[in-house]
Amino acid sequence: MDTNFRSERKLSKGVVGLILAFWGLMTILPFLWMFLSSFKSNAEISQMTQNFLPQHWTLMNYKNLFVSGNFGVYLKNTLIITLASFVGLLFNAMAGYGFAKFKFKGKAFLFIAVLSTMMIPGQVTMIPVYLILNQLHLTNTLLGIILPGLVGAFAIFLFRQFMSNISDSIIEAARLDGASEWYIFWHIILPISKPVLAVQGILTFIGGWNAFLWPLIIANDQKYYTLSVGLQLLQGQHTTDYGLQMAGSSFMVIPIIIIFLIFQKYILQGFNVQAEK
Amino acid sequence: MHFKKILGLAAVAASAILLASCGNNSSKSSSKANDTLTFWYGGDADTAVKPIANEFTKKTGVKVKIQSIPWSQYNDKLLTAAASKTGPDVLVVGTTQMPNFVGSKTLMDITDTVKSDSSIAPDKFFTGSENTTKFNGKYYGLPWYVETRVLYYRKDLLKSVGYNQAPKTWDELYDAATKLSKRGKNMYGFNVDGAEPTFGFMFARQNGATLLKNDKPQFNKKAMVDSLEYLNKFTKNGASPKQDTKLSIGQSFGGNGPVPMFISGPWMMSSIKNDAGLKDSQWGVAELPKGKVSNMSSTGGGDLAVFNYTKNKKNAIKFVKFMSKKENQLKYYKNSDSMPTLKAAWQDESLSDSRIQVFRKQLNNSEPMPLIKQWDQIGQNYLKAWEQIALNNADVQKTMDTFNTQTEELINK
Amino acid sequence: MSMGKSIRNRLMPYTFVLPALLLLFLFSLIPILIALVISFTGLDITGLGNWSTVKFVGLDNFVKLFHDSQFLQSIGNTLYYVVIGVPLVVLLSLTVAILINFGNNKFFSFLRLIFYTPSITNTVAVAVVWTYMYNPNMGLLNNMLGKIGIGPLQWLNDPATAKISLIILAVWKAIGLNMLIFLAALQGIPRSLYEAAELDGANWWEQTRHITLPSLRFSIFFVSVTTLIGWFQFFDEPFVMTKGGPLNSTNSVALFVYQNGFQNSNFGYAAAGSFIMFAAIIVATLIQFKIQKKQQGE
Repeated sequence: MDTNFRSERKLSKGVVGLILAFWGLMTILPFLWMFLSSFKSNAEISQMTQNFLPQHWTLMNYKNLFVSGNFGVYLKNTLIITLASFVGLLFNAMAGYGFAKFKFKGKAFLFIAVLSTMMIPGQVTMIPVYLILNQLHLTNTLLGIILPGLVGAFAIFLFRQFMSNISDSIIEAARLDGASEWYIFWHIILPISKPVLAVQGILTFIGGWNAFLWPLIIANDQKYYTLSVGLQLLQGQHTTDYGLQMAGSSFMVIPIIIIFLIFQKYILQGFNVQAEK
Repeated sequence: MHFKKILGLAAVAASAILLASCGNNSSKSSSKANDTLTFWYGGDADTAVKPIANEFTKKTGVKVKIQSIPWSQYNDKLLTAAASKTGPDVLVVGTTQMPNFVGSKTLMDITDTVKSDSSIAPDKFFTGSENTTKFNGKYYGLPWYVETRVLYYRKDLLKSVGYNQAPKTWDELYDAATKLSKRGKNMYGFNVDGAEPTFGFMFARQNGATLLKNDKPQFNKKAMVDSLEYLNKFTKNGASPKQDTKLSIGQSFGGNGPVPMFISGPWMMSSIKNDAGLKDSQWGVAELPKGKVSNMSSTGGGDLAVFNYTKNKKNAIKFVKFMSKKENQLKYYKNSDSMPTLKAAWQDESLSDSRIQVFRKQLNNSEPMPLIKQWDQIGQNYLKAWEQIALNNADVQKTMDTFNTQTEELINK
Repeated sequence: MSMGKSIRNRLMPYTFVLPALLLLFLFSLIPILIALVISFTGLDITGLGNWSTVKFVGLDNFVKLFHDSQFLQSIGNTLYYVVIGVPLVVLLSLTVAILINFGNNKFFSFLRLIFYTPSITNTVAVAVVWTYMYNPNMGLLNNMLGKIGIGPLQWLNDPATAKISLIILAVWKAIGLNMLIFLAALQGIPRSLYEAAELDGANWWEQTRHITLPSLRFSIFFVSVTTLIGWFQFFDEPFVMTKGGPLNSTNSVALFVYQNGFQNSNFGYAAAGSFIMFAAIIVATLIQFKIQKKQQGE
């Protein structure tokens, strides 16, 4: 009976694997296309018949990418912004914890206010945000580029939801032992929240890495531009160099994949803390 | 605990950076010395403008800080400058955006400069370009580069249906396109561009239409309605795709050329040369086919303007004038393929190519769309009206009646 | 002394939420309030440079919007996107997550990356590839469907199928992120629960129904709410692929707002449009919260 069950499980695992493989293939196709196209000439990309693999492999697009533009400076800014956005990650986690595990006056209202910031398209608030930053004399500074996107309702909400799942008894026990609230947050809550921190860490990285609008709107000097802005600069007014765009985006995606592979380990670090629930 | 360490480290590093960058912002105001100009430019300025600006610095000692801004966000950037009254000293403004930013007082009135210097006198430029800088008799910029639309056609394919030259009249265009569309399934003759907001208006002018009379739209008058009826014949009999084919230039114009004739601007030249996979003898450009009255094309391009709130007025004007010199317009053409607005520049050898000269001839017969701030929206509404005609078989006269009323309301608002 | 401590205790929660709230207040809430004020004015590009010319128009913008057939059509389209798209995203990303969680070897962890790639593929690349896939004459999809005797479909060119085509594209893009969230949540389910169920002879489907899904309540709620908010603001796909056409059939409220606010510089009108959308989203979100509370109460 037991062996029967196991082989059944093996079989279903195979079936699931097959389904996922097929689905995954459909999913990754555009990505592969982007990657392979980065080795095609623009002429080949705009040909009548499209081949999946490049007919003539070329590194031209990558060469053009690095010849044009100030990519060293852009890379530095991008890294700074990405690092800084991890401060935002901490603020988001703190706020999520606050909303999940404390009772305080105005909590429901404040939380709805937080969520409501997600409900207005960014274009509508762009000019007001710019005017505020201008009033604060933060235009053309790195701080001005970083601040508007530092915290976000999506992340706060995500942390709140996951931290609601943590059982109160752990926190109570720590309090009885005389641990301070900050100690609890830093030494108990954050470690338990590893999976969601990892998810949010990936998102934060991607957000910072792809930062585009604010670096462009706030900067009055190209020395504050990021990689995404540099990539957009290569776009013509009426025409697009597809090969160059593909190469640029393939290049931009490599660090994201590395970060993903590092963090995904943590997503899977399960925790059994609520077993006693 | 490993994970927390990473996070902690990142947080510490990031706060250090934040603090450092806080300290930075005090230096910003002092950098606005009088001998540095800021210049906003759409696209990548490094190869196109920088060499010319360096020349300016060498001559005058005035430094030019160029900020390249991606085209996709250029308008956003101008809007923030308009709203905050802080921005560059000199900037490029697309001709269609001129009425907007003159209206918002973002651009400086430089009439005195224009009138006092014969080398940049209005009659030195193409009328179509010069018109985009003039509002209520005052000048707000100098024309810098110009675009006009011409007919691109496949010589070999047209020959196969008996045309050794590009169609010269509306009738010929229709005849050639119809014959070419008989080549097979998904084959067309001409592209009635459903994504180009100037398209119908351009044909209407060729048919003798006045688009606006005393700020009143004339879109439902016979001249415009007839020209749309004419264009609709193409989509009805299959000589033109009904909507944007979303094909790349190689797919639509190269190979067996599903769309062997279309109207577009100078930027298509290098796309075709580089990406269409055609031999030089296989394609050509020609002036637009003539309608009842003319073969009027539509002018676009960019103007150089001075930011209204600049603290550097004198140098800014000096720079604008410098950029508008004949030799500098020519240099800019060589660096960027953007065509010069000075008529005199066109005698230069670098523009002697026979295809380029077609644009020169077309520029004698080319006007911008009406320069009112609502025009962008009117153009978008036109595309929607045209969709009704082409896809929904709506009656042309009725559609244009509605469109006209809609436009009247828009202008009177 | 105990008084002091209790005040500190009462203030404690605020220290956790304060930094984030402060930033949100400054860079999101105040701008939203400014936008709200703008929605009652006729602000356009002239007014932007010269505030003294801005006229207060009361509810004019809102009244006009409800007589604007394009706006009404874009509301209809947006509801269509939400009603079909949101359940699809939640269902499919949950399915992928549960299936991937099935295995623990290299192959399955590689799949996680694969399903995540759509979210990190550059928009230009996405547009190029999908435009080609959807091309009615030579596109990949019609090519494949033709082999099994279906089609040719007009995809983005036909008002009847254009919306669905955009939904497919958007769902493809959205699965990755939500899958990650579900995967993270799946880690929180104690193994002991499954072991106990297995001893009771529960099969995989029963375990999923009685253990996995109930334990994912919080994350399902999260994904539903954020997906709903996101899809009410459906923008990227029509903006990149169709510009709202053909015949306005794919235009969404968010795209309508963009076209009016930025392409045509009718900032007042656009702001009013986005607040109508805002009201709809907040109502829908509050309903979701109410339902969740009720379920928790049971």
